[in-house]
Amino acid sequence: MSSQFDLFGAPEPEPEPEKEPEREPVRSVSPVARERQRVVLSVSDLTANIRGILENAYSEVWIEAEISNCRLWNTGHLYFTLKDPGAQIKAVMFKSDVRSLKFKPEDGLHVIVRGRISVYEPKGEYQIVCERMEPHGLGALQLAFDQLKRRLQAEGLFDEARKRALPSLPRKIGIVTSLDGAAIRDIIKVLGRRYPNAHIVIRPARVQGDGAAAEVARAIRDVVKVAGIDVVIVGRGGGSVEDLWAFNDEGVARAIAASPVPIISAVGHEVDFTIADFAADVRAPTPSAAAEIVVARKEDFCNHIERLSHRLTGAVRGSVARLESRVHLLNRRPGFAGWSARLAMRGRHCAETTHALRHAAGASVHRRLRAFQTLRLQLEQYDLRRRLGGVRARLVSVDGKIREAAMLRHHAAGARLQNSAARLDSLSPLAVLGRGYAVVWDESRTRVVRRSSEVKPGDGVRVTLSEGELTCEVVKTDGSDN
Amino acid sequence: MDPTIKDFEAAIAELETIVKKLEDGDLALEKSLELYERGVQLSRFCHTRLEEAEKRIEILNERGDLRPAGQIFSKDDK
Repeated sequence: MSSQFDLFGAPEPEPEPEKEPEREPVRSVSPVARERQRVVLSVSDLTANIRGILENAYSEVWIEAEISNCRLWNTGHLYFTLKDPGAQIKAVMFKSDVRSLKFKPEDGLHVIVRGRISVYEPKGEYQIVCERMEPHGLGALQLAFDQLKRRLQAEGLFDEARKRALPSLPRKIGIVTSLDGAAIRDIIKVLGRRYPNAHIVIRPARVQGDGAAAEVARAIRDVVKVAGIDVVIVGRGGGSVEDLWAFNDEGVARAIAASPVPIISAVGHEVDFTIADFAADVRAPTPSAAAEIVVARKEDFCNHIERLSHRLTGAVRGSVARLESRVHLLNRRPGFAGWSARLAMRGRHCAETTHALRHAAGASVHRRLRAFQTLRLQLEQYDLRRRLGGVRARLVSVDGKIREAAMLRHHAAGARLQNSAARLDSLSPLAVLGRGYAVVWDESRTRVVRRSSEVKPGDGVRVTLSEGELTCEVVKTDGSDN
Repeated sequence: MDPTIKDFEAAIAELETIVKKLEDGDLALEKSLELYERGVQLSRFCHTRLEEAEKRIEILNERGDLRPAGQIFSKDDK
């Protein structure tokens, strides 16, 4: 196309020389034929003529110039002036052409425009109606990119403070990309390998071509509304700058910024940043890398839990061990060691009490029987016939009671004995002997010797050991209370 | 699950505090065991959450419906 216009570009300088000769004929002709060939034109006719000439001669021109006084009217038409250091021309671009511009024309911008010259008759002004415009030097896309980036940056859309942290354990992962691209496969491959139970929700969107940006923006807005989504990957595989253009769209950037959940951008090449990358909370160089970032969060989380669980067990083991060693120390303290000695003492006391009890019980029964017999002898001395009835009855009753009492005593004694024996068993004096204690008896082995004052030098004593017995002679006694 | 555990972040934070307390020592046996029990509960919570999700791939269409996407990818992934 441009070569076609280059042909027209050649005659471009010509219109200027044309203007000057135009004036000369007027001056040179006028003195000669001013009166004879007087043709009076109306302003409208003249202007119409001029318009015809200009519009024919300049139906397609290319101009390189700087934009000034640029204004976009409510009608959607753009009015501006194109100038260089020596001249200027009014310019207009109609709404339908303005819409196809990738960048925003602004004052000071150096551009190349294609257009046609037209004359605005009511004002006698000529202007260029621009149909195409491109920035001089930079590509249009690059310029548009720079402009949008600058604007959103100024608005604070890319501020670090806006960036949300990724969840410690991403569980439901939203993906916005095309179902046909490599990106979705790459992401699923990585997740499938390293995060097999991930829950993925894909919101398909076309990622290149007309309308792709709007689809991507809408898909982002949709997917972040799905309950439980805690991170979203937005992207596509690599391609040309034009292919990636949907991700340099203001709508996409705003959808990303407005998302309530963190967004990872993953657009194409490693090196090129898109507007989406700037707006995203995390920028991944490629779709696979975005999936790796999600997986890494999950793995970090697992490791962290693992470490904490280990430390938890270790810590509680440590504190139990500390307490255990304290118990051991206490066990060895003398106050505690005396415990077994005291126990042995109680055991002996118990044995003696049992012995005394047995004695006492036997003696009591004996005593009663003797009393009974005495009574009986006394009774026999009375006139038995006279008293026999009453006495016999009393006798029987008393006899019964005595027997009963004796039996009760006996039983009680037996029960206590059993009880004591049981306690005795549990206290196990023999066990005490087993630890090296010995019991010292008097010579007849009827009494336990508890005080040295109970025996004299020369007395025999018997010593019960855990196994066997010794018969000894006292050589010397020391004070009983020392 | 356990109503006393809000979410992962909360569970992890509490677990960290418990581990630190136990490691610092000087706790009564009963208190240590109590903390330990809570710690085990928290770590179990996290583990369960990790395991409980099952692999699922769904597609959200323009009308907002979610459909399983299994066959779309399984057939040409191989």
